[in-house]
Amino acid sequence: MIQGIAAGLCLVLAVSLQMMRDRVWPRETAAVEQLLYVRSPEAMKRLALGFDALAADVYWIRAIQHYGGERLKAGGAGKYELLHPLLDITTSLDPYFNIAYRFGAIFLSEKPPGGPGRPDQAVALLRKGIAAQPGNWQYYHDIAFVHYWSIGDAVAAADWFRRAAAQPGSPNWLLPVAAAMLTRGNDRASARFLWQQMLQSDQEWLRKNAERSLAQLDALDRIDGLNQLITAMGKPGGQPYSWEALVRAGRLRRIPLDPSGTPFEIDPVTGRARLSTASRLFPLPLSMGRE
Amino acid sequence: MRAVRYIAINVFRESVRDRVPYNLVLFAMLLIGASYLLGQLTAGQDVKIIKDLGLAAISVFGLFIAIFIGIGLVSKEVERRSIYALLAKPISRPQFIAGKYAGLTLTLLVNVAVMTAALYAVLAYMTWVTPAHIKAGWEAPGVDPVLLKATLLIFVELMIVTAVALFFSTFSSPILSAALTFALYVAGQFNTDLKNFDQVVESKAAVWLARGLYHLLPDLSAFDVKLQVVHGLPVPAGYLAATAGYGALYIAALLIAATLIFSRRDFK
Amino acid sequence: MPAIHIEELTKEYAVGFWRPRPYRALDRLTLAIDSGEVFGFLGPNGAGKTTTLKLLMQLIFPTSGRAEILGRPIGDVATRRRIGYLPENPSFYDYLTAEELLTYFAQLLDVPARDRKRRVSDLLDTVGLGRERRFQLRKFSKGMIQRVGIAQALLNEPEVIFLDEPMSGLDPLGRRDVRALILDLRDQGRTVFFSSHILADAEALCSRVAVVAAGRLVATGRLNELAEFRIRGWELVVANLSPAALESLRPAATRAIEIGSGRYTIELPLSETPEQVLPAIAAAGASVVSLNPLRETLEDFFVQRIAEAGARTRGDAVAGGHAGR
Repeated sequence: MIQGIAAGLCLVLAVSLQMMRDRVWPRETAAVEQLLYVRSPEAMKRLALGFDALAADVYWIRAIQHYGGERLKAGGAGKYELLHPLLDITTSLDPYFNIAYRFGAIFLSEKPPGGPGRPDQAVALLRKGIAAQPGNWQYYHDIAFVHYWSIGDAVAAADWFRRAAAQPGSPNWLLPVAAAMLTRGNDRASARFLWQQMLQSDQEWLRKNAERSLAQLDALDRIDGLNQLITAMGKPGGQPYSWEALVRAGRLRRIPLDPSGTPFEIDPVTGRARLSTASRLFPLPLSMGRE
Repeated sequence: MRAVRYIAINVFRESVRDRVPYNLVLFAMLLIGASYLLGQLTAGQDVKIIKDLGLAAISVFGLFIAIFIGIGLVSKEVERRSIYALLAKPISRPQFIAGKYAGLTLTLLVNVAVMTAALYAVLAYMTWVTPAHIKAGWEAPGVDPVLLKATLLIFVELMIVTAVALFFSTFSSPILSAALTFALYVAGQFNTDLKNFDQVVESKAAVWLARGLYHLLPDLSAFDVKLQVVHGLPVPAGYLAATAGYGALYIAALLIAATLIFSRRDFK
Repeated sequence: MPAIHIEELTKEYAVGFWRPRPYRALDRLTLAIDSGEVFGFLGPNGAGKTTTLKLLMQLIFPTSGRAEILGRPIGDVATRRRIGYLPENPSFYDYLTAEELLTYFAQLLDVPARDRKRRVSDLLDTVGLGRERRFQLRKFSKGMIQRVGIAQALLNEPEVIFLDEPMSGLDPLGRRDVRALILDLRDQGRTVFFSSHILADAEALCSRVAVVAAGRLVATGRLNELAEFRIRGWELVVANLSPAALESLRPAATRAIEIGSGRYTIELPLSETPEQVLPAIAAAGASVVSLNPLRETLEDFFVQRIAEAGARTRGDAVAGGHAGR
């Protein structure tokens, strides 16, 4: 009994001394952390002695901790230097480590201060995933996402979405998204082409979606045409823009209607044509660079 | 009290007769010599590499001695049943534990001292043969007395590991004791991660648990001042004293707990 | 005051992991051994002999009951200066020589420094270890280790000596030496408490014995009281017996064995007293070489009592079996 108390007392005193020492001489953990003794994935594979999956887990945890730690640094000081090497080693040790590729790509493509802003590394990582699992539609999808969100290339994104849709077991919303991407990228011809393909689909909701989207594309075309017309006409002296003015001027036969039959609106001040909010087709897909 | 001394001397004698420390010390010395050859390959960094390697070797070999002899202190005696004749002598069980611990500490002291001396010898030779203009670029002198601070803390760290091994050895088999001691050693090295848990995790319960573990587990990473010493960075005397004091108290707690368990044990 | 006093000493172990059941290795042992006695503690393997000795040495702790050695409770460290102990199948430190081991133990026993060397040397002579004393124990045979064990039990010139199976591992010559040693110790006025399952040793050495079986004391007392059972017959050795005379004796005898020409060992049952037979032998012209009573030996007693104890145990269903010590 008394021995137990004595042991406990010694431990308590030890801990008090430890806490006092930590207060007086705090140990800088930052300086030591940025060390990655083994950078080469091949070397790490050999070192892991067959415990590859476990080592991959350890490196994955380190990658998350590194990302989180860098993000939490005050004033956006984080540099994320070790993020790519850590993810590279993780996926080399375990090529089937799905979330390492997917989340890793998200981390890598985040713009500073939220991340290193390296979509190129993100795409490289995902390509590595594809090399390991060629039929995995998720990697194609993620590459498409990186292209759209971080690089800003909607046409490339659409291409990758299409390739994702071509993989076995891929969900059926990939093609519509590809088409939407093309619209984003102002490539309406390709978008139309995709939507028309989807009209052949045996799924009703897909057909309906395709019909609607095609109608929306038509509306966009018409708006463009109307805008050209209005620009050519110039502003009616001092008057607000209106369809009536155009009709009276003989440019238009009647008030223009969108493919769903609802009249377009015209902004009285800027003279830009737009879709009525009452229209069935509202809202129209926006394109990159317009908003 | 004389009993403690006699038991300690016998432990020391066993470690010498078992020839294990001889081999290790020899190997460490060879390693240090080899590091000198390796140092020839790097540009002026050889003194740093030798210090790094030397201190690391002292730490690692000391660790092996501490664990493998430490677990045998009690478990081996019980397994071999030599403990029956011993405990029938007029010694109390606490004296037995104290004597065994003192004996292994003595063994460690001798081994660490020999290895440190060998390291200094190599460094002295290096300092002697290196031309002055290269020496001017060294961050810290070759034969640096500050290295002793590192070896002192390594020694106290090894004493803690020994106490842990002895503690486990009072109630579990040799193999299990070795595994547990090693696991605790590894945990103690990564202790600071537990302390800084609040920086990476949100759950309050997890942070408290981690903090608790940080204080309960031996804080071994604090004893590692190799980096500072090799680069000539200061290690305050107060830090040494506080850390060594922490070690002494932690050891006391472990030994008392070991005595507690050992005193109740039936030796079937 | 008895040298050793044991009262209701009990040791129970919990056997089994999930639902531990108690196993009684020793059940309420009560004994008193006087100073100067050579006391034999007998029983088959697993009876609780080693358990008792370990309890007395405080290597294990009693579940209940108490014991005293030289008037002090067991566990008193100072008493251990006045006693000696030889464990069963002893094992020491491989890396020490016999001399070093004894010196080490002598140090722990507080033998004064000036006496140590001489005493170690004398004891090694006594147990018959000559040149071997300088070899490491790892090179020793079982018998040699046993001798070292006996030596280390006597280092401090103890008043009470506890020996657990002292004869084990020894050849007949060795056993004779140990017997002589024990008798020597008795003559020096020391108390010897030894356990054995070899009855011949007890018969030769002990003044009193106790018999344990399945953890229980089944008998205790003077050897001649216990073993003086019924004389169950006579053994008659006759010489110059003619075949005709032999035939006339046969009906009376249980057995007749020829030793040599004309010499016979004739066993007579209790009913045929020698007085009835001797005249016939004298009349036949034969001569009597020897006449001895046949008694039950301790062995027979042993077997009988153990069987009784076993039956009682099975009836009680207390113990879990003869599994441990």
